[in-house]
Amino acid sequence: MPETVTNDGTKNGRGLRIGVCGPVGTGKSSLIALLCRELSADLELGVVTNDIYTDEDARFLRSAGVLDPARIKAVETGACPHTAIRDDVTANLIAVEELEEEFAPLDVVLVESGGDNLTATFSPALVDTQIFLIDVAGGGDVARKGGPGIERADLLVVNKTDLAPYVGVDPAAMVSDAGSVREGRPVIALSRTDPASVEALIAWVRSELDRHRGGALVPADPGPMAPHFHADGTSHSHDHDHDHQHA
Amino acid sequence: MSEELLMMLLADARLPVAGHTQSGQLEAAVRSGLTAEQVPVFMRSRLASVVRVEAGTAVVGLHRLRAGLPVEPVLDAWAARTPAAPMRDTSRTLGRALLRLVRRLFPDSPHVKAVAVLERPCRPLVLAAAAATGGLAPASLARLVAYDDLQTVASAALKLLPLDPLDATSWVHDLLPEAERLAAAVAPLTEPHQIPASSAPQLDLWAQAHAQTTRRLFSA
Repeated sequence: MPETVTNDGTKNGRGLRIGVCGPVGTGKSSLIALLCRELSADLELGVVTNDIYTDEDARFLRSAGVLDPARIKAVETGACPHTAIRDDVTANLIAVEELEEEFAPLDVVLVESGGDNLTATFSPALVDTQIFLIDVAGGGDVARKGGPGIERADLLVVNKTDLAPYVGVDPAAMVSDAGSVREGRPVIALSRTDPASVEALIAWVRSELDRHRGGALVPADPGPMAPHFHADGTSHSHDHDHDHQHA
Repeated sequence: MSEELLMMLLADARLPVAGHTQSGQLEAAVRSGLTAEQVPVFMRSRLASVVRVEAGTAVVGLHRLRAGLPVEPVLDAWAARTPAAPMRDTSRTLGRALLRLVRRLFPDSPHVKAVAVLERPCRPLVLAAAAATGGLAPASLARLVAYDDLQTVASAALKLLPLDPLDATSWVHDLLPEAERLAAAVAPLTEPHQIPASSAPQLDLWAQAHAQTTRRLFSA
């Protein structure tokens, strides 16, 4: 878990760290550009990107002009994008800390994973909360297939709903499929051209920031493993805080 | 604590210290035409130059930490022998990564504290603090520096070149005697001015070129 600098025992002393992950091409960089555009007026932001082969994402964000280029750091992952957000988060954590030191105090640092597959999610040691991104162009059955990010990321975004008519996908069905595997966790059907969906996304980010500042946000691991079931009818994934023993 | 077990822990590629982000200039070398067959020679050149500096720095740092002497002069001596700014930067970033771990493992160590107060300590000095705390001998520490470099390049080679992984491990194995010679040569060093000043201008150039490129897999 990230170190929580507490002065009075309840409030969190550093900014909120938000992870953005999901398969290649689902719109992670665009989502981050959107967040920067919408939030930079009243929040201090930083961005860390993990592109697999180039610093393309960092350059895209810098050229988008939504944030001071110095606040965007690219981390090379040595062709291990999954490792860098999961089993050895050191390089990313150092980049986040450097941004936080250089531009103190930052309200939010966004960490963009290198586009990986459906199984990659952030370790709670790196981010406090995470957005998993899929898009309608990836096919209507993606949400139904599930996976740790789709099922248990703090927020699931079904992106590019404006393209749905062109790819023969029903976004409402996709959201409903996702809802049925997420046990009440939030899902947002997003399109840059739909202001209400953008508003919903921003409201979620602000609410996570409030929970973080108030000390109520406890980073949760979507896990690489599916939750499993015990004979007594309880189920859990391996991110819970109580001890138990497997038979 | 068993010296052998601590060595294994610190030499393990699974250590969460951002090792997967490093190629030891191999990526830049491959971009400028280095082939798979030339990788063992590349590794040997590193042992003869930059790794010698790093291992010497670690050993002298270890001696001074144990003797209660200041380590700033070691950091200065290392910097003076590492002319390429991106290489100094990389070692300092990796030092920061390793320091995170070493602080957790040895929270009460005065040696770790002595290195942590330095302005951006290089990786060999942080490793020296771990060695001083865990009771590693100077030659063991030098072996660790050399071995880590061999494996860093070998595992990066698997990402960069079409290669049988058994070949890569064979290269590391075949260079172990060279690593041992290096360890024996630097183990007796105690003074900053004794740290080898062996340089490899081609590695420096590659490090500088790599830092400028926008298309790279590895940080360095």
